[in-house]
Amino acid sequence: MSFLEIKDLHVEAEGREILKGVNLSVDAGRTAIIFGPNGSGKSTLLGAIAGLPGFRVTRGDILFKGKSILDMDIDERARFGIGMAFQYPPAVKGVRLGVLLKHVNSDGNWVQTSAEMLNMTSYVDRDLNVGFSGGERKRSEILQLMVQMPDLALLDEPESGVDIENISLIAQGLRVMLEKDKPISRRQRSAIVITHTGLILDYIKADIAYVIMDGHVLGCGAPGEIFDEIRQHGYKKCTMCFAEKYRDMNTQDLEK
Amino acid sequence: MDIAPERLVSMGYDSCAASCGRFMVLDRDILEFSCGISGLHVMPLKTAFEVYPHVRENLLFGLIPKDKNDFTKMASRVDPVGYYVRVEKGVKIADPMQAAFLFGGAHQDQLIHNIIELEEGASLDIVNGCANTHAGTSGRHIGITETYLGKGSSLGYTMIHNWGPDMEVYPVGAVQVGEGARYLSNYVSTSPVKRIETYPKATVGPHASARYYSIIYARQSSYFDTGAFVALEGEGSSGEIISRVVSEGGTVISRQTISGETKGCIGHMECSGLLLAENGVIHSIPELRGKHPDIDLSHEASIGRISDEEVSYLMTRGLGKEEARSLIIRGFLDVKIAGLPDRVKVIVDEVIEQAMSGKI
Repeated sequence: MSFLEIKDLHVEAEGREILKGVNLSVDAGRTAIIFGPNGSGKSTLLGAIAGLPGFRVTRGDILFKGKSILDMDIDERARFGIGMAFQYPPAVKGVRLGVLLKHVNSDGNWVQTSAEMLNMTSYVDRDLNVGFSGGERKRSEILQLMVQMPDLALLDEPESGVDIENISLIAQGLRVMLEKDKPISRRQRSAIVITHTGLILDYIKADIAYVIMDGHVLGCGAPGEIFDEIRQHGYKKCTMCFAEKYRDMNTQDLEK
Repeated sequence: MDIAPERLVSMGYDSCAASCGRFMVLDRDILEFSCGISGLHVMPLKTAFEVYPHVRENLLFGLIPKDKNDFTKMASRVDPVGYYVRVEKGVKIADPMQAAFLFGGAHQDQLIHNIIELEEGASLDIVNGCANTHAGTSGRHIGITETYLGKGSSLGYTMIHNWGPDMEVYPVGAVQVGEGARYLSNYVSTSPVKRIETYPKATVGPHASARYYSIIYARQSSYFDTGAFVALEGEGSSGEIISRVVSEGGTVISRQTISGETKGCIGHMECSGLLLAENGVIHSIPELRGKHPDIDLSHEASIGRISDEEVSYLMTRGLGKEEARSLIIRGFLDVKIAGLPDRVKVIVDEVIEQAMSGKI
């Protein structure tokens, strides 16, 4: 049984079917990358796992730690170990970042350490995401996740719109959160990362990549290899190639 | 006195906290008054008439006409109960003065008349708390406050209302802000009061400022008709009115007026409302009047509900739905008031915290 197992997942958003039978799995301690063009259903997948409103599961199941989470509310899923860094987090006027962090984790030392690592100490007294630049929002998201320390981190485009300096800070936080300094066998925390640019791959080593197009998983494979093919041939040209080469592969196949 | 200490704290009257003076009234009886600072005078208004003749001759009903309304007419016909507070020239006081006006139900009406006088360059903070001794008592509280701020003086005036569901409250206030003086009013009401009507006025002199902040949490069936009027009469004067209103079923009419009457006036108002229930009503009436071409007046107003997106976002961090909503409402009410002393801010935060956690 995988840490996260998604079976034949169909999801509707605004009355339209976006995911049309997605199957994928992520093992404990592993990082999966999701590639896919705009509108392919990547963010819908993360939203459905997190339980966000607006994403209605019509068929299939999401099993996390061996348990179906479909009946759990957002906060239950969070407390069960699922955390999410949003691509476009809302600004919440009046709620200070530091106040939220205290609600999430009462360990003040860890909050302070995390804020220092992400160069966010001067932001904790500011309203959550209000007036934050793109890079600051991303750092705020990763800081919140670091403080939350989820077992499964859902990262929606963590590097989009972020300059090199900020990507480096974000990656540093992610490496700590995902225990990248430990041997792979001793890592417990997993992640699913959506990326358009693949830039984050220069900083965070992923274990497996999935390609999603038009609500389907075309296949999975070695992240670097798949990313190179996308860069060379684009998504459309590679559709058949992915389907033939990587279909039915899983993490164990890649390790072999 | 038969009132729980925590009830006093919930209206900002904390006998353990540092204060420069105290004044407490129950119904029509003055229970205590004290003053521990040289240059500060705190006494019953009636006593002040004897000690300082100018208080009766020049200050009493000097800013508020006796015939302004039925309440002022009533007040003008009886011996006043309330305080006279004076700070001498140049005396700056760090610890706030605390005052409590308690309604125990001994009479149907509680009539209060206060006069505050700050001489040139003086500064003071006053925290006024008003409450029933017991939630079940019913009646009317009428509070008249006339404030005279001398040149370059500064007054922070915090009013915390913690009235019960059968109380009607009619404060009448007027402030004369002298040249270069600063007036900061900070009003908080979070309890399930039946009715509050108030529309205080500040007349602002040259290069002086008046700022009104109000936080109103209207419970089911509460009715508020509140606001402030800032008349910028002096050259280079400024005014600000900021209100945050939450209704969970109550009705709030929020009237704000800034009148820019002469050269170089600057005024800004911001009225934000949050509706938590379908039967709540927030009626925001921001009004700007310009009477000179060289003025700058502006306002922002909004009424909305709690954003589902924001609630969901906070829930992804593990907060329950009610916890997330509560955090957002608390944040909405967190008006960042520049110049409010930390010790007063602590009192205000504590009152709001108690209200949000259902202790009030």
